[in-house]
Amino acid sequence: MLPTASDLWSIGPELWLAGLGLLVLLVDLFTAPGRKVAAGAIAVGGLLLTLIPASAMLAWDPRTAFFGSYAVDGFAVFFKILTVIATALVILAAMDSLRSRFEGEFYALLVFTALGLVLMAGSADLILLALSIEFVSLTSYVLAGFLKANPKSNEAGIKYFLFGAAASAVMFFGFSIVYGLAGSTNLYDIAVRLRTAPQPALYLSVALMLAGFGFKISMVPFHQWTPDVYEGAPTPVAAFLSVASKAAGFAALVRMLLVAIDPARVDWVLLLSILAAVTMTLGNLLALPQRNIKRMLAYSSISHAGFILIGVAAFRGDFGTPGLLIYLLGYTFTQLGAFFVAVLVGAQLRSDDIPDYAGLSRRAPVSAFLMAVFMLSLTGLPPTAVFIGKFYVLGAAIETGLLWLAVVGIINSVISLYYYVGVIRAMYVMPATSETPIPEPPALQVALGIAGLGTLIIGLYPQPIIDLAKNATLLLRL
Amino acid sequence: MADYLPIFVHLTFVAALVVLLLTLHTLLGGSHPLPGKSEPYESGVWPIGSARERVPIRYYLIAMLFLLFDIEAIFMYPWAVVARTLGVFGLVEMLTFIGVLGIGFLYAWRRRALEWQ
Repeated sequence: MLPTASDLWSIGPELWLAGLGLLVLLVDLFTAPGRKVAAGAIAVGGLLLTLIPASAMLAWDPRTAFFGSYAVDGFAVFFKILTVIATALVILAAMDSLRSRFEGEFYALLVFTALGLVLMAGSADLILLALSIEFVSLTSYVLAGFLKANPKSNEAGIKYFLFGAAASAVMFFGFSIVYGLAGSTNLYDIAVRLRTAPQPALYLSVALMLAGFGFKISMVPFHQWTPDVYEGAPTPVAAFLSVASKAAGFAALVRMLLVAIDPARVDWVLLLSILAAVTMTLGNLLALPQRNIKRMLAYSSISHAGFILIGVAAFRGDFGTPGLLIYLLGYTFTQLGAFFVAVLVGAQLRSDDIPDYAGLSRRAPVSAFLMAVFMLSLTGLPPTAVFIGKFYVLGAAIETGLLWLAVVGIINSVISLYYYVGVIRAMYVMPATSETPIPEPPALQVALGIAGLGTLIIGLYPQPIIDLAKNATLLLRL
Repeated sequence: MADYLPIFVHLTFVAALVVLLLTLHTLLGGSHPLPGKSEPYESGVWPIGSARERVPIRYYLIAMLFLLFDIEAIFMYPWAVVARTLGVFGLVEMLTFIGVLGIGFLYAWRRRALEWQ
């Protein structure tokens, strides 16, 4: 059996990303230090070009490539587009602030990570899934520890590595149990063959796999690494991990649960509902006392993971999975934007503390305004992107009879208002120690602007995104 | 669950056997600690120092690169076995693989990973 030409066409965007990563690496090798920005510009341009074949795939009929091991359906294509946009924005934001001898490698690593994330979202085979998760993990460890001279960054890298290796090991053990029960590594075959598998073993395998996916999406109780890694890692990397890595983790989790594990045999709906409630609440309560913006955003990203998990738990309704996709897209723009403001302040003021944001409304008015928009969006206030996501996800919970979960979600939204508004208060109300304007580098401004536009457009005119997300869900089960 | 019973029996036996053997050994074997007994044995050659010495970090890089290109060679064996069946497709695939590794090699070279200073 040989792969056919159509198999190769099906992985066009992935091949392009792989080539782009190598190209960026080569450009980095042959440019003088100080001109490494060229590598970043090529990476951004190449990523934007990836969007052309990727969005052309939206019109395709769902299919699998390479003997059923790789799915090209609306769901995977949605995550391809999301990952590529997020990566391009992160590189744009990093271009001005990253002063490192290894700048070119940074961009190449980000492009390669994007490739791994795309593969994760499309894997329909346990082996490919395991490989792509490891691929993403390895590059992410390096990125988290990228600032070699900074002990906090080193700590972040090592911590991420130790947690990640343990979580991967546990998850692969779960995979091996699934394989033992089903005798196949293909998710669609597994779905058929697991119907007669013994239930205790199924529960065990789901629990073990959740440990791995839970680590990637920073779900309680596998969330402890999140604040330390986000705080220590370079801020653009923290932005990337909190958005792209999390989205791909959700993609893999949803595909695994919805395709392979029959909820009638393993009650993962109840399990995930409880985990969602705990994740939201714990993330929110721990975010309240944070003074460091990156730690605050880390805990807030944990609580958002809880919200998105509602969408997984409520998959039976019409809004569950589309809600999850809309939430993820809106959250991507908003969270990236918030981190980009942290990049700006971190690079210019050398501080990540929220009290140092005092007077930002006069020192960098545009950025401060956008930050306020992002904070309101993260709270879930209209007319912003995350509001639409929360609306859908909570609606899905009510529709599928998880009313208690929706109530927990709403209470959590109210709690989260406190710490998000704390940032706005610092920027607009608190007296500033200095009035000197903060220079806003152009590439970062572009990235911030796109994130801000994305947040507002999805909030004001969500219909195209809703259609896209619905389309992506319909195609999920081939 | 009945299918799992032999496994549990097996595990119990293994645990019991290990405990039994270790207990008998400590009870009957006696202990005569002599310095010569705790030295590493290397074919009669006298040990010249501790094995837990510091090794220059450069070895790490060399070992890492060696491993990478070693694995590359291993991947070629299965391909060589089925090279005829795979035909041109397999050849192109292999050349792509070697090309990607070649870029890695170039990278290591340009970054002076191969120099020993």
